[in-house]
Amino acid sequence: MSAQLATPAATQVPEGTDLVEWYYERGFSDGLPVVPPTPTKLAAMLEALGGDPEKIETRVPPRWGCLTREVLAVNMVMAGCKPEYAPVVRAAMLALCEPAFNLNGVQATTHMCSPLLVVNGPVARKIGMNGGCNAFGSGNRANATIGRAIRLVLLNVGGGWPGDLDKATLGHPGKYTYAVAENEALGLLAPYHVEKGFKADDSTVFVMAAEPPHSVTNHVANDPQGILDSICSAMSTIAHNNAVSSGHCAVVLGPEHAASIAKHGWKREDIRNYLWMNSGNKFGALAFNHRYGKVYNRSLPVWYKRELDSHIPIVPSAQHIHLFVIGGDAGRFSAFIPGWGHMSSPVLREIEGHAGAAQSSARCIDGTCYL
Amino acid sequence: MQPIYDPRGVVSAETKALAPRVRSLDGLRLAVLDNTKWNANKLLREVRDRLQGGHALGAVSYYRKESFSRFAAPELVARIRAENDIALTAIGD
Amino acid sequence: MHDAIGLETLGVPTAVIVTTAFVHEARMQREALGMKSIVPVVIDHPLSSLSDEEIRGRAAQALGQVIGVWHGTQADPP
Repeated sequence: MSAQLATPAATQVPEGTDLVEWYYERGFSDGLPVVPPTPTKLAAMLEALGGDPEKIETRVPPRWGCLTREVLAVNMVMAGCKPEYAPVVRAAMLALCEPAFNLNGVQATTHMCSPLLVVNGPVARKIGMNGGCNAFGSGNRANATIGRAIRLVLLNVGGGWPGDLDKATLGHPGKYTYAVAENEALGLLAPYHVEKGFKADDSTVFVMAAEPPHSVTNHVANDPQGILDSICSAMSTIAHNNAVSSGHCAVVLGPEHAASIAKHGWKREDIRNYLWMNSGNKFGALAFNHRYGKVYNRSLPVWYKRELDSHIPIVPSAQHIHLFVIGGDAGRFSAFIPGWGHMSSPVLREIEGHAGAAQSSARCIDGTCYL
Repeated sequence: MQPIYDPRGVVSAETKALAPRVRSLDGLRLAVLDNTKWNANKLLREVRDRLQGGHALGAVSYYRKESFSRFAAPELVARIRAENDIALTAIGD
Repeated sequence: MHDAIGLETLGVPTAVIVTTAFVHEARMQREALGMKSIVPVVIDHPLSSLSDEEIRGRAAQALGQVIGVWHGTQADPP
């Protein structure tokens, strides 16, 4: 029989206790000060989650702690979230705990990856997320605290503490927060979720285990080929994890680049196909020209030719490239965001209560459902 | 007094019983499950060879997970159970 | 651990080999998955960077423990 569940014991400490220090001392912080939850803040957060504090939303690996609504509320308040962010954070946690994502592996790996969250649809604007200038940076409460709430859950409920169950050699700053919205307002390309079969007024979360963004500068080209060639250059290295472990990756077009490409009539599929076709490594480079012996890399698909001058794509298909338009109006920059590898599939999931007017359509796991 | 909260949530799991232990390995069918992490196969083959050398196992079958990071597919686990009496698996590293 | 526990649940005594660096995680996982009494076989870390000769050494280290797990005589790692 399962053990009886209990809501977190709301114990008491004396008036005048420094609560910020108290949460630090218990080891509940990500390194930054947390917002000490109060009954009022928790009640508001719980209401936004739909009440029913003991309802288990999911269990979070590798500790497999039960993420009840109350525990989720505690972590969200600690992160500094507003109640209106609750549907987004919950949807993200449910997406992360889908078996296809393999959160167990993502939490434990020695690779630096951290879940990247991209939000699409009206909810992003409604709660004030930033998909524009400095979207991957700081200064926006929704981006900062939604991403942080996810990380606090992964730490506290999932047990993914560095040096303990999280064995990442290096980590990266996205392990504090890594949440953005797509810049849909510009209307340069169809939004990501629409490409994947949702309606424009559905709201969705996309999660992918990701390295940090690698900046791609191109202040010279004004056509798709020139701009995309620079992104291909950033992709075509043996250093990131996709090169040796396959899987999925993301490409972010800054608005100036996206505008130039859109002006030439290129669509999402054209962009992804060009990127896929024109990026890659020579097998010899990946195999160090057999300097360390002939080794068979099982992480790469069996259908890749293993001859020294074979072309090895960065990912197995253009469908494995997840394309977003994000960023501010000024600056000819885009970014390549490598993933972890075939060991984790990205997940795209609707945000409950934020389906569009019509019946919500496809739920896509691993990014392969495609219109 | 002011309230403080535990952000961790409980770990609750149905307690599962171990399979019954065996007294002798003679005649038993051994499953070797390779999770395909680096050198797991070499380690497993070495252990398997030593086991075969020292015991009269009934049969030895070798299985590989599709992905080293994901859990083994339920169908694979069921197949291993159907075809074997004891199992050896590696590597958690 | 997850796969080993799955097999044990189906009635197959399973010896799962982990390296010393992984023992803590193995303990967490067996607790979280409800099978605290499963005993892992422990070999010295690392495995992935070893020569064939060193791998043979690890196999020797594991052998007695493997048989002990199946017999039920193997003690939990300290």
